[in-house]
Parts: sequence; structure tokens; C-alpha cells
Amino acid sequence: MSPISSSLRVQYDLRPAKQVERRMIVDALQRLQPAGFSITDYQYTGFGAIYFVDFILFHKLLGMSKLLSLERMTGLTTRMEFNKPFKCVDVKMVSASSAIPNLSRDIRHIVWLDYDGVIHKDFLSDIQSAVTVLPAGSILLVTVDVEPPEDYDYKQVNPDFDGSKEVLGPKHWKNYFEFQASTYLKLGLTESDFGRVELRSRTAEILKASFTRSIVPRAQMEFLPMFNFIYRDSHWMLSMGGMIAGPTEKRQLLSTTLRDTEYYRDNFDTPPFEIAVPRLTRKERIYLDREMPCADGWTPKDFDLDAEELRKYRDIYRFLPAFAEILV
Amino acid sequence: MRYASAEVRKQFFIDMFTRDISLEDCVLDLIDNSIDSYLLKHGISISQLIFGPDPNGAKRGFGRIDVTCNERQIKVVDRCGGIPRKRAMDEIFCFGHDPDDQAGKLGAYGVGMKRALFKIGNKFDIVSQTETEGFEVSLTIDDWAKEKDWRVPIKFVDGADSEKQAGTSITISGLREEVALRIKEGGVPNNILSDAATTYPYFLNQCVKLRINEIDVPPKTISLGESEGIVTAAREKLTYNGVRVNLAATIAPGQRTTEEAGWYILCNGRAVVRANKDDLTGWGPDLASFQPKYRSFVGLASFESDQPLSLPWTTTKRDINRESAVFIHTRNLMVTMSKPILTFLNRQYPSDAATEVGDIRNAVGGVKEVSFREIASKPTAGFSYTPPKKKDKKNDWVRFQAPIALLDKVRRHLRRPSLTPSDIGRYTLDHFVKTECGTD
Repeated sequence: MSPISSSLRVQYDLRPAKQVERRMIVDALQRLQPAGFSITDYQYTGFGAIYFVDFILFHKLLGMSKLLSLERMTGLTTRMEFNKPFKCVDVKMVSASSAIPNLSRDIRHIVWLDYDGVIHKDFLSDIQSAVTVLPAGSILLVTVDVEPPEDYDYKQVNPDFDGSKEVLGPKHWKNYFEFQASTYLKLGLTESDFGRVELRSRTAEILKASFTRSIVPRAQMEFLPMFNFIYRDSHWMLSMGGMIAGPTEKRQLLSTTLRDTEYYRDNFDTPPFEIAVPRLTRKERIYLDREMPCADGWTPKDFDLDAEELRKYRDIYRFLPAFAEILV
Repeated sequence: MRYASAEVRKQFFIDMFTRDISLEDCVLDLIDNSIDSYLLKHGISISQLIFGPDPNGAKRGFGRIDVTCNERQIKVVDRCGGIPRKRAMDEIFCFGHDPDDQAGKLGAYGVGMKRALFKIGNKFDIVSQTETEGFEVSLTIDDWAKEKDWRVPIKFVDGADSEKQAGTSITISGLREEVALRIKEGGVPNNILSDAATTYPYFLNQCVKLRINEIDVPPKTISLGESEGIVTAAREKLTYNGVRVNLAATIAPGQRTTEEAGWYILCNGRAVVRANKDDLTGWGPDLASFQPKYRSFVGLASFESDQPLSLPWTTTKRDINRESAVFIHTRNLMVTMSKPILTFLNRQYPSDAATEVGDIRNAVGGVKEVSFREIASKPTAGFSYTPPKKKDKKNDWVRFQAPIALLDKVRRHLRRPSLTPSDIGRYTLDHFVKTECGTD
């Protein structure tokens, strides 16, 4: 195995970009508090699996104590219960589609549908449910894989598909997207719109359309975009989300300092914020941190660093975890 | 300024607006008017009928509606209170309601009776009497169509003298050729009966009694189910532009056929859509396509308003206007409510052998009928299924293979050659417990 792929493999285990995303979300939620959004009292619903990383962050950094983790795989029940980090984390072995209509309508929610697969009709139906029932002031985040669908995914479209005889390409990916989300796609798309790199744009369009379609029937309500991240620890992932807001919440949201951040996206038509983690040594980071936030055009004197890498670092240094080995 | 002619041509009007409605639905339009007379006279609200309790229900008598349908005529006679002269003069023969008219609950558009009259026959006779006054109208439509005048000749007659006798009789004769053909073909009275039974479950035998060709029409209720502590129905409510919406979705009790499954939509208590399983109520792209395994699914959506024009029904009252804002608001909720129920029903047929299948099937089979009122009175929530708690077992099996030589050894020792292997198992266990564990 080459040195590069090995380093990528290590990165995958630790998932630094994902962690930056989580820290940015925490930062955003902290910025909502002074505008009158009492995040501490919100309920967080997510897919904690057996790690509960987001639950730990939200409880410790935001003081949230209504925490609900959903899991469909009943085989994980005992491990989830065993790994529950706090007493206030509730674990339910049900799908999001069953849990969402039962979320209390009397409190506000943060719901993070952190899927690990490519776009699927079940995701769209969960989004529809969440946007339909969550009270104003609630926040919905959706994460999906934007790599091309694989053989396993494509078998939903064509159960007879044989990966050993045929290689998946844009034709199949177009079929797959049409199968899962036909009514959310723009008209007139051709195979060339479903090339590998195009899939993230198609997915973003579908997610945007599903937020819009579900909010339109709610009188006086809007889905106000807040997050649009793209990042890659191993697969390219896309996270989009925002707030279900009436006129009051909209005013409150506009009065926050979110606009001052690099990652805030109040419009899904602007390109997503790319969380790019530059490869830096610990020593380089300590050196750079002393100069952060740096002025435009500043470069380190003691070693050469590409200006683009430096800009990326400036965007994320506050959120970037430092990994170290501990011997236990 | 010059003006181009844009007048309504009577004959075209008559021919055109009778095309998109069935004969049966025309008769139901006339029944709607009879029910409306009764509701208006007694000041009954739709909520009382659907969600009750109806405090005066027992005290007031039933309104009676008799429908006769044969190859010569179609006749609807009611004892539901009659039509006041003023409404006859100013309102009921007009196309569309006057904004100041005291609107009925089921007659939304002010076209139902006229459309029925035009569709069914060439001649009609209407006699209506309230307790104090009455009127008569007889008209041959072909003659009337030739005249420019849109008014209808009316004659005043005396009242019915008693409240019980007050009512309206509409007789349509000179049946149109195609109507006569359909009746001759057979089945029309049966269709009217079954349509009425499913259309008026909240009116029949609650406020009116209906007979078709002297046969009583029993209400066909929309059954919803729950089972205590195990299956709870999804319920939602909202108000939009003065329309009150109540929704319930759950598992239906008893043996179900696929024909009965799906969403039922009521507009002011009248079932407008029955057992819908298509895109209208979210099936297909939003949920899943209907399959027989979903036959226990039932959803009920009630739209209610004092302004019937705000309700999402079409003029035939047999479909929903998809462009209705209140329906667009509601449809997403209906989909959200349905999804967990379909997921639940899917679990009856897992791809892998799961132990819960028995529990799920028991839960589906075990729901008991509950009223819409009971479900709607609970706070908003989604469908839920709580698996039954496993009872703490008092006993368990001990089962193992033992060499016959060893069993014989025990038999010989006890001098009881007839002991069965399980006797020996029990004896040796008891012995061990007694001698080794003590009595604690």
C-alpha cells in the first residue's frame, strides 16, 4: 500500500472533516442562543450509532439534555445501550420515519438525518415528514453520500444487474436518481448531467427541492438555509440544512452573527462550503495558530505553504481537532 | 367601446354541465339537499355528528328521505323540513349561491339540483312545504330551453300544517334516453344504495333515514382500530382559512379486503373520496405503491367549514381539487402519518426470519374498533406500536440426550423399570435440589 493511501486510511478512521463539520454546527448553534433561540432546551435527534460523538458535543458544549438516538438495526441494541454516554440519551430502535411524527410539537428540535448512503426515496420521505411536523424554530440537517451509487444500490433499480458483466456509469446513475427522486429532478437532464462530479449538484438540487416542496404547504413558514457543507474523509459527503421559520424566527435568525462566519450559507444556490483539511504537522499548526486569524496575503516565513492551503486552514483552524495517541 | 357577444346559450349550458357527473351522483346531490334542509332546520353542526356528543340527538325525530328509481321516473321525497318560499323565489333555481344566502353544509356550489334535473329527464315537478307555506314548480326543460328567459314559473301552495309532514318532493320524468337505458341495464338502484351507504356514514341513522326503492340504506362506517398499550393511531389537526381539518390513520379492525383499504376524505361529513390508494393521498411516489399487504391500512381526513366553498371538494363531490390550498397543506401530513404504518405492516413479511413477526401479526389482528371522535380527542402524535412485554417465565424446558445405559442404571437403582426418561430427569433434578441446595 502506498504512503498516501495509508495516510488517507488513518484520516478515515478519525474523520477530521466530519469533526470540523460537527464543530461548525456547534458554533452556529452557539451563535443562535443570543438571538433568543434557547438551544439548551431543544431536543436533539440523530443517529448516534455506537459512538454518539455528536451527542457528546451537544450535551457538553451546548448543555442540551433532551437527546434521542435512532437506530434501525435491532442487532445493535445492546451495544448502543452499552455505549450510551449519558443518562439523558434516549435510544429508540425505530426508523426515522416512525420516530419523526412522534416528536413533541411543543418543543423545538434539532434533527440531523446523518445518512451514510447515496440519495434514497426513504430519505426524501423522512425530510418531508420532518419539515411537515417540526415546530417553527426547529433545525433540520441532512447528510448524504454524493459518490456514485454502487452495484448494491443499483440493484434496487434493476434486481438482475450483474456487476461482473457491466460497469456502472452515468447511464445507470441517471436511472438510479430517476428511480429514487424522479419528481425532484429538473426537467431535461441528460446522461452527461450524471457524471461522477455532477452527482453532488444533482443531490443538492434534490435536497433543496425536498425542503421547498415540504415547507410550501405550511402557511407563513419558510425553510431558511443555514448549512451547506461538502467534505471528504473517504467518500464525498454533502450536508444541507436550515431552520423551519415563521416571520419571528426569520427576524431572529437574521439578527445573529452567523453571517460573519465563513461556513454559513443562507442560500442553497451559492456553492457549498468545502471543508478541506490541509495536511499539516503538529509543529506547523502550532506555528500557524499563533498568527491566526491571519490577514489576507500573509504567509509563514519559516516554511513554504501554498496560499490556498493557508486560506483553507484559516477557515477551519478553530474547528479542527488535534489527534494524538493516548496509551491506555 | 364595442362589445362582442359573450352570452350563455341555454341549450349548450344544459348539455355541457351535465356531462361530467354520473347518474348516481346526481341522485346523491338531491339527497344532499334533503339532508341540508334537515341540518338547517334543526341547527345541527357537522362536528356534532362526527365528533359528538349530540345532546339533542335522541330528542329530535329522524328526517326521512325516500328515493324511487325506475324506468319511468326518479323521485326523491323527503320529510326534512321543506324549502321556504323566499329561498325558492331568490335562490334555489339560480346557478350558484348568492353570497348572502344562508349556505347549507352539503350544497356547496348551488348547481347540484339543477344539474340533476337537467341530466335525468325532460320534465320535473317540485312540491315543497314548510310547516307554514309551500310552493310548486313544474317544468318541461326542452320548452324552457327554447326561451331566452331564465326564470322558472312558480305557484304558491299552502304549508304542510305539521312539522312532521314538512318536506320536499322532486319527481323527474320523461327520462333522457341514455338515463332510461342505464336504468334498464339494471344495477342503478343498487349503485345508489351502496354509494349512499358509504357516502353518508355520519348522517344515516344519526339524523336521517334513507330508503331506496323502499329498501333501508344502512350506513357503512369507516372503521378505525387501536389496541390498548400496543397500537395507537396517528392523529393530526390543523385549521387553514376557516377549514378545520382532523386526521387519523391507523390499522383497521377485523378482516379487511384491499378494496376497503386506503384514505377516506370527508368534506362536511360527506365521504367524497373512499379507500383512495393513489397519488392523491400520497401513494406511489411519496409513499409506496399499494400492495395487498397494506390492506389493513385506513386513514380518515375530515375537512369541515361553515363556508362549503372553502372545502377541497370538486363540484361532483366525488373527488378532491388538488389545487386547493387547504388540501395541499394537509396532504404532506397525511403522507407523514401513513409512512410508519406501512413500515409497520411491512414487518409482517420480513425478508429474514424475525421473531417479532408473530407479535406484529397479533397486533394487526388484535386491534379493536375505536371512534374517530376518540382518536381525534387525543393530542397530536404519530402512529405507534409498542411490542407486548414478554411475561416473566416461571418455567423453562430442560431437554438433553442421555445414554440409555445411564437411564437403566437409575431404573435399576430405584427398582422402578417403568420410569420414563422425563420421570428420571424430574426425579434426579428434585433429588439434587433437595440434597445439595437445601430448602432456601
